[in-house]
Amino acid sequence: MGRYLHAFGAFWYDFLVGDRPELFVGSIAILAAIWAAIQVGLEPGLAGLILAALVFSLAGWSLWRASRPAPGH
Amino acid sequence: MNVLVAALPAFLASAVEFVEALTIVLAVGVTRQWRSTLIGVAAAVVALAAIVGVFGSAIVLLVPISVLRLVVGGFLVIYGLQWLVKAILRAAGAKAKHDEDAIYAARVAAMREEPPVATSGMDWISFTVAFKGVLLEGMEVAFIVVTFGASAGQLGPAILGATLAGILVVAVGIAVHRPLARVPENGLKFMVGLMLTTFGTFWAGEGLGVEWPWSDATLIVLLGVFLVGSLAAVRLVQARLDGAATAHLAAVP
Repeated sequence: MGRYLHAFGAFWYDFLVGDRPELFVGSIAILAAIWAAIQVGLEPGLAGLILAALVFSLAGWSLWRASRPAPGH
Repeated sequence: MNVLVAALPAFLASAVEFVEALTIVLAVGVTRQWRSTLIGVAAAVVALAAIVGVFGSAIVLLVPISVLRLVVGGFLVIYGLQWLVKAILRAAGAKAKHDEDAIYAARVAAMREEPPVATSGMDWISFTVAFKGVLLEGMEVAFIVVTFGASAGQLGPAILGATLAGILVVAVGIAVHRPLARVPENGLKFMVGLMLTTFGTFWAGEGLGVEWPWSDATLIVLLGVFLVGSLAAVRLVQARLDGAATAHLAAVP
């Protein structure tokens, strides 16, 4: 049973986190931040633009990290 | 439009995953035993159909649409960004492209190291490898079918899109009898990543209470912006890699 649970957890970890954990953590942080901002009065129309900009910025940050020259280069 | 929203991403994502599953099935079938391999494939397809049917129906019937869109949107943003970032890195040359021929050769070599096939009855190695391969590749398809189908309220078209992709890939696979190495997998993954990220952002936003400026038409604007930005990102990553290579060469005495 433990082996199956471990395999199940490993599947979902690989599926959602994989080798780019910043995308998983960053996406959740962005959604939480937008939710909080709307709760304290951010205009919903502006929230959409900020959400889209943050999602795209997250992709950019991940790409920047992934394309860093290897040490020694 | 909702029919297309559910069917097209399911079709494209499924085509990619089915090409990868076909490589596994061909490798096992050719080197071991077709009968057991095909039984493994059939068992995996039945399991996937049950997963889509049970989870798809449960989600549609039990989860309120605003909660569904927030959760599904969040998952799609995470998953879509993973596909998109990998596809951009591959397009820019920063990551090796998926090579179905090389994967096929490696799998065939691995299968040849297994114990010989039994002369009669089931070959459980063929069954297990085919079942696991199709189930794991198919789980990604099931995830996309359920999330897109449920969020767009169009589970049927999403299932149809995935089924058509499966039929197409299997038909071509039977016709050519080899892995589909010429399918532009990275291009498809780029498009699917863009779609998942776009729809994920849109639905998660709706779930959070965001008001999109042009209602559903905002999807097209978002897709266009993400597409242009992603193509620019390919160029930027290429330029960064070229710059690093030039600096490295200049530093070599």
